[in-house]
Amino acid sequence: MKNWHWIALGVLLITSLILEFTYLADYASHWWNHVPAFYALWGGLGCVALIFISKGLGKIFILSDEDYYDA
Amino acid sequence: MMLELLSVPAVILILGAFVLPLLPERARNTAFLIFPIMALALIWTMPEGNLLQTSFASYELELLAVDGLSRIFGIIFALITLIGGIYAFHIKDLGQQSSALAYAGGALGVTFAGDFFTLFIFWEIMAAASSYLIWARETQESDKAGMRYLLVHIFGGGLLFTGILLHLSSGGSLYIESIEPAYTTANIFMLLGVALNTAVPPLHAWLADAYPKATITGAVFMCALTTKSAVYVMIRLFPGWEILIWVGVIMAIYGTIYALLANDIREILAYSIISQIGYMVTAIGIGSELALNGATAHAFNHIVYKSLLFMVAGAVIYSTGTSKLSELGGFAKKMPLIIGLYMVGALSISGAPLLNGFVSKTMISGAMGDAHLEWPILSLLIATIGTFLHTGLKLPYYTWFAEKKSEFEVSSIPANMKVAMGIGAFFCILFGVAPNLLYNQLPYPTDFQPFSVYNFVEMTQILVLAFVGFWFFKNHLNVDSTISIDTDWFYRKPAGVVRYAFVKIPNRLFGVAETVSLKLAKRLSAASKNPMDLILPSFTMQGREIKSDGFTAPISAALAFILFGFLIASLVVLL
Repeated sequence: MKNWHWIALGVLLITSLILEFTYLADYASHWWNHVPAFYALWGGLGCVALIFISKGLGKIFILSDEDYYDA
Repeated sequence: MMLELLSVPAVILILGAFVLPLLPERARNTAFLIFPIMALALIWTMPEGNLLQTSFASYELELLAVDGLSRIFGIIFALITLIGGIYAFHIKDLGQQSSALAYAGGALGVTFAGDFFTLFIFWEIMAAASSYLIWARETQESDKAGMRYLLVHIFGGGLLFTGILLHLSSGGSLYIESIEPAYTTANIFMLLGVALNTAVPPLHAWLADAYPKATITGAVFMCALTTKSAVYVMIRLFPGWEILIWVGVIMAIYGTIYALLANDIREILAYSIISQIGYMVTAIGIGSELALNGATAHAFNHIVYKSLLFMVAGAVIYSTGTSKLSELGGFAKKMPLIIGLYMVGALSISGAPLLNGFVSKTMISGAMGDAHLEWPILSLLIATIGTFLHTGLKLPYYTWFAEKKSEFEVSSIPANMKVAMGIGAFFCILFGVAPNLLYNQLPYPTDFQPFSVYNFVEMTQILVLAFVGFWFFKNHLNVDSTISIDTDWFYRKPAGVVRYAFVKIPNRLFGVAETVSLKLAKRLSAASKNPMDLILPSFTMQGREIKSDGFTAPISAALAFILFGFLIASLVVLL
């Protein structure tokens, strides 16, 4: 990842946040619309949760050796 | 009647499967393309209504029922057969070409079937024809996987047929129409039969088992046809069945978790199909016009981007000879075009604005919003994040960009494969920027507007933050050479025990019985050489050689008496 990649992502995020707090300030079709930057939080936390939950499930029972069914 | 049958798109493709072997080898690849083009033109121009009937026993079958819903599914099935044909233009394998045409014919037959019998027949043609696309890989692994695939589909067909027969015997209509949500035995069997082809867990394991083992070109047809034709049937039969809302959510999350764990690139994409179909199943469960439009549009878009992704995965396998993330990496500079095309598909499936996934995902979430299904919305967003993680980030990062993990050659890819991928990417962008081209073909009229500031804000925040999460925690994703235990465990692991109980044990029993009876026969024959030795041991003299004919005189005397008796008796009778 080069610096300009991060800058581009930052610009996208900031644009979306500005739009959220200006254009969509009164928008309320779901309860979570009252939580500021909800989708950013949901995206970040959801991503981390998925990575670790799948890792945990993989360790507990899902992942096996490739020759599991041949043995 | 025979000529009228040619107006059925399915018949054209199935006829193509029989015509191909009669053509010279170098004409087959071009001929392969002609049949889907003919079918596509026909589907495009057919008027609406029930166009062709035939009687079978005491039933009047509807072979060609055309309406907005069947037409859009027919268009995409024919289109993807054409794109798949271009992708497979370089292969010289008659078996694969014919079975791919018959398979697509089956999917079109299901789509335009107006009654359950016609539907069932084409349903089974699909199962049989597609199995060959796995076997054609000709590895030991694909032989076994193909057989499992076929057996599971025969089981699914059995469930569906049982449901149909029960439905008919309880006074249900032979014609395909939506079924009221009632959990009767007939409905449950039909739902299970359709759910198996839709890959609803726990009936889904055939998909992730078979698709990664199919041929490079075969998988492109498979990822498009079987599950989506089942989605079509589900839209027809079970709209508004509320149980499907949560079934879809579970599918979406389930597929995501397994895709995150998978090591084989086509297995990641296969599990991601299950996850994407979850969106469609949820929409079918809602059952509103917007939701069914959303399910249809998403199935359409899904076929476009998923086949593109499978084509790129196939290109990677073609070029490097491996499909495992644990062996790939470090050759991004050698295929920039392919990576670009892949990212178009990957961003489409992740729902990035201005690509086709966005225009149908927002439609489904709009329908969910109208129905106030808040938790399902949030759950499907988790699946969207997961989709971006595994298809949009994990797969390309570890395939091309991460450090090289084994030695492999990168050979060049035939031009026709690139053209097919280019067409796929073109449609991803086309329907993404001009969604009305798609919306106008949907079964219900709609003025849905996907490009709202709200949808843009939502998707941008989610995708950007998901990327950040990936970048910092990517080392926790599995890229080891592992396989995932799924519900196929229940029929794969006990296979050894079943084989032992029903093959090995009977085999051994027969073996033992054979040895015992042979030994017995040997002893009997030995003993019968000199029965007096057993009956009256003192009669036989020690040291005297035993002759097997030593007792013939007494026996001859006895036989002579018997014959003499017969002679007397016959004389008495005759005289």
